[in-house]
Amino acid sequence: METTHARTELIGKAAARPARRRRARQVGSPVLWFAAPAMAIYALIVLYPSLAGAYYAFTDWSGIGSAKWIGLENFKTLFRDEQSFGSLVNTLKLTAFIVVVQNAIGLALALAVHTRIKSRNVLRVLFFAPAVLSPVVIAFLWKYMLNPEPDAGLNAMLGFLGLGFLQQNWLGDPSVALWAIGLTVVWQFAGFSMVIFLAALQGIPRELEEAAAIDGAGRFQRLHRIVLPLIAPAMTINLTLSTIGGLKLFDQVFAITNGGPGYSTETLSTLIYKQAFVFGAYGYSTAVALVLTLLVAGLALLQVRYLQGREVTY
Amino acid sequence: MLPRYRPRTFALELLMIFVALLFAYPVYVLVNLSLKTPHEIAEASIGPPSHLETANYSNAWNGAHLGAAMMNSTIITVASLVCLIMIGSTAAYYVARTQSKLSYGMYLLFLLGIVLPFQLALVPLYRFLTDTGLLGSYTSMVLFYTGLQIPFTIFLYAGFLRALPREYGEAALVDGANHWQSFTRVTFPLLRPVTGTVIILNAVFIWNDFLTPLIYLGGTPNETLPVVVYQFVGQYVSNWGYIFAAVVMASLPILVVFLLLQRYVIRGFTSGLKG
Amino acid sequence: MFSWSTHAGARARRVGAAFLVAAIAALLAACGSGTQDKSDNGSSNGGGGGPKVTLTLKSITDAKVAWEPLIAAYKRVAPNVTIDASYAPTDQLQTALRAQLGTGNAPDLFVDWPGNGSAMSVQQLAPSGLIADISDQGWTKQVPDGVKPLLGANGKTYMWSPGATPIGIIYNKQVFKQVGIAEEPKTWSELLADAQKIKAAGKIPFAVGNQTPWVTQLLPYAIAPSTAFAVDPNLAQDMLDGEKSFTNSDWHTVYDRYIELYKRGLFNKSPNGTTYEQTQQLLGSGKAAMVVQVIAAMPPFLSAAKNKDDIGTFPFPAADSADALKIPAGVDAGIAASAKGKHLAEAKKFIEWLGRPENMASFSKATYSIPLVGADPAKTDPLLKPFAPFMASNKTVPFMDQQWPNAKVQPAHFAGVQDLVAGKTDVGALLKKLDEAYQQK
Repeated sequence: METTHARTELIGKAAARPARRRRARQVGSPVLWFAAPAMAIYALIVLYPSLAGAYYAFTDWSGIGSAKWIGLENFKTLFRDEQSFGSLVNTLKLTAFIVVVQNAIGLALALAVHTRIKSRNVLRVLFFAPAVLSPVVIAFLWKYMLNPEPDAGLNAMLGFLGLGFLQQNWLGDPSVALWAIGLTVVWQFAGFSMVIFLAALQGIPRELEEAAAIDGAGRFQRLHRIVLPLIAPAMTINLTLSTIGGLKLFDQVFAITNGGPGYSTETLSTLIYKQAFVFGAYGYSTAVALVLTLLVAGLALLQVRYLQGREVTY
Repeated sequence: MLPRYRPRTFALELLMIFVALLFAYPVYVLVNLSLKTPHEIAEASIGPPSHLETANYSNAWNGAHLGAAMMNSTIITVASLVCLIMIGSTAAYYVARTQSKLSYGMYLLFLLGIVLPFQLALVPLYRFLTDTGLLGSYTSMVLFYTGLQIPFTIFLYAGFLRALPREYGEAALVDGANHWQSFTRVTFPLLRPVTGTVIILNAVFIWNDFLTPLIYLGGTPNETLPVVVYQFVGQYVSNWGYIFAAVVMASLPILVVFLLLQRYVIRGFTSGLKG
Repeated sequence: MFSWSTHAGARARRVGAAFLVAAIAALLAACGSGTQDKSDNGSSNGGGGGPKVTLTLKSITDAKVAWEPLIAAYKRVAPNVTIDASYAPTDQLQTALRAQLGTGNAPDLFVDWPGNGSAMSVQQLAPSGLIADISDQGWTKQVPDGVKPLLGANGKTYMWSPGATPIGIIYNKQVFKQVGIAEEPKTWSELLADAQKIKAAGKIPFAVGNQTPWVTQLLPYAIAPSTAFAVDPNLAQDMLDGEKSFTNSDWHTVYDRYIELYKRGLFNKSPNGTTYEQTQQLLGSGKAAMVVQVIAAMPPFLSAAKNKDDIGTFPFPAADSADALKIPAGVDAGIAASAKGKHLAEAKKFIEWLGRPENMASFSKATYSIPLVGADPAKTDPLLKPFAPFMASNKTVPFMDQQWPNAKVQPAHFAGVQDLVAGKTDVGALLKKLDEAYQQK
């Protein structure tokens, strides 16, 4: 590989000059200004406006007109509100579903595509392609396909495959709707998880697996003891991103069910949006948003710490 | 990887092709609907159209001025990507290679951005851009996307940099180069796979973003693709044939970019991680 | 020393060059677009007709077909005024406009909804001084008294609306013929009998699309005028005054009847899972006989049918006798002018021009409404004809949400109806929930 060659060359050259006048230069750290432009734009566009926006959480602002300071009233209301609690539960359920199913399927696809099958290049593209489509378009498509009639859309395809017993009132049954949304998200992003797993899989030296095979390790053992530990960094990335994505999920839920039927698919994100732009309770919505932020930040931090501790370097 | 192509492999191949067809079914529906007349769409059959209503494509293209919108989307996306890569990779380099409380604190501060909901900053930022007169220009969007996606970009770059052995960059430093030279000539080229990932993931997000361009660019000649495509979506009346045709046309550039990049990305990942 | 001639160096150089080119292109484009925008919004003294002015207009996609001819016509009337119109889906447009209004940066003209009850209703926006008072315009004097309060607040007028559209039944004539129904039902019991007949023939009597939130309210709105509002014609005001409420009134009859229709199996199998678009399919293909809808939603039902002539309309017979029937008719979404707009005078002039009978008629025709001012009975669309007598003789009740005091009741209503059909709540609990939302600020 060219880059490896170049690097070897470089190291060779560096090593080959011990006698020459080598500056006693400390291999120090990059100067702070490497990060200055990023921090500047980030502070301008995200940090300062978010801080300014967070102020509204302590007011009764409706979104237009004047805002009156009301201290912690919004937070008190939030913790007493049934609907908020229900939304929190839905958010957690949906996130758990997405994290587990999307990454399981993504891993399975990656393992399958990482073999000698001839169509693996085409498959890679096909599985990733849904991630490229806009979430709102995906929502239109799936609403069209999740028709409750048995002779239309997804139900028709299930019937055609002899899986008629799986036909559902996908979006109308309160106990099914949330998982139906989860399904559309998994469909869209399983290929994304797959790509990240694939990258890690391709970094595992073949010799390791072959040695284990010669030693008599079965396929499942090889997977469990060698492959999974070595792709742990990819696992960390995938789990973290899908957790954050799931907790913040908005477009798909809003466009497919708008929180319905009833409130069975209402999540914290849709609640925040509705409070701000539909109910005219922008201040309250900001309070909910702050609580969501704390929740997401807390979970993400815990997760990263736990997962990075289990990463294996080689 | 299995060394030989065994019968078991062939069985897997068939299975994967079947799975891929299942996966592609919604995309088939999308293209299918884009070629049907309103009456055929109302029929809701899963079969192909009786004749290809390509008028949907030409009408959508002209009615929504897709050409101009595509140009706007491209300019905004490319400019944002350039900024993100340049300042994101350098910031990640600082964060990943400097062991100090300040750099770790900075890293956490950046990560906070991934977690913040967009509603918090929406109104103050809009006010700021209005007051500076930048509203409705490409600059406002490029600034917005760069600021917004910087945390995610740094997350990707820093993660990869931590796994990259320091020796190569340090060899250049020992040789007398300064950090900037070491970074641009040695380290950054080694980040090729993650740069490819950064490009593809950010490009998809920026290309498909709808609400912010609607608020910032709505009504100006600089509207992006999602804004013009969704103007066909009404509450009572929507011409789904046009909408899906417009969506197919709007998705093609991004898909092409992914196709070109994915070989680069996957190949780069291999060489990078093995190093 | 590291040189640019190695493979990695060459690649880096190519990539670097590409980025440089892209960056320069982007910078040039960014600079270029800036100037382009500035010149658009300026006003300079042009040729005859006064100074050149550009007005921005933002409206919903549904109204695009109505706005385009009017905007073109106005260009001929006032050549120095250019109207830059853009359209977006209703939900997202509401968000964008709220954000823009909240920072004092609204378009010159934007879509507005009459009465109260939603975040973009004229009565929610007027108190904050963000929309312009147009009470002095001539056409406002000709708007029927029952309708005028809905166009503003506190006795003043703040928005223009083209007309009013009723809610009624859109039906498939072929299905009626097949089942053997010769005449449209005129009373509640006739409706039930006909619906049973349709069901017995294996067709769906009512296609209900509750998966789409705004559809859930239509059937209750169709039943209420002849039941709750027949018992108390002043019910909306009584509720605002605190004398009546959802629980303390005849509202329960509305939902009792709704549930009766559902329990008798007169709906499609999964109303909560069926979308608005799917009801178009069901009616157009002849699988269903009737859909309760806003008549403004007519176009897609016509396109879904095999033959446009197969589609007809008639009022929802919610009353026990034909004479007692009252129907729901809502004032359409219209337009308001931003009070802080740079070209307020020109914007107001445009609205005044819109107030002319021929312009109202033009807009209404495109949106299946009956004009507020100067409606010509001869020119009424055949599909609207069944409703015209009711609207002319004041036997109508406005869409109820237009008279609710806040924007929380309507969403609670949507979710409540879905829960009612799903069996997760009953009529009493639903009415209580609606009252709770009604009481909030």
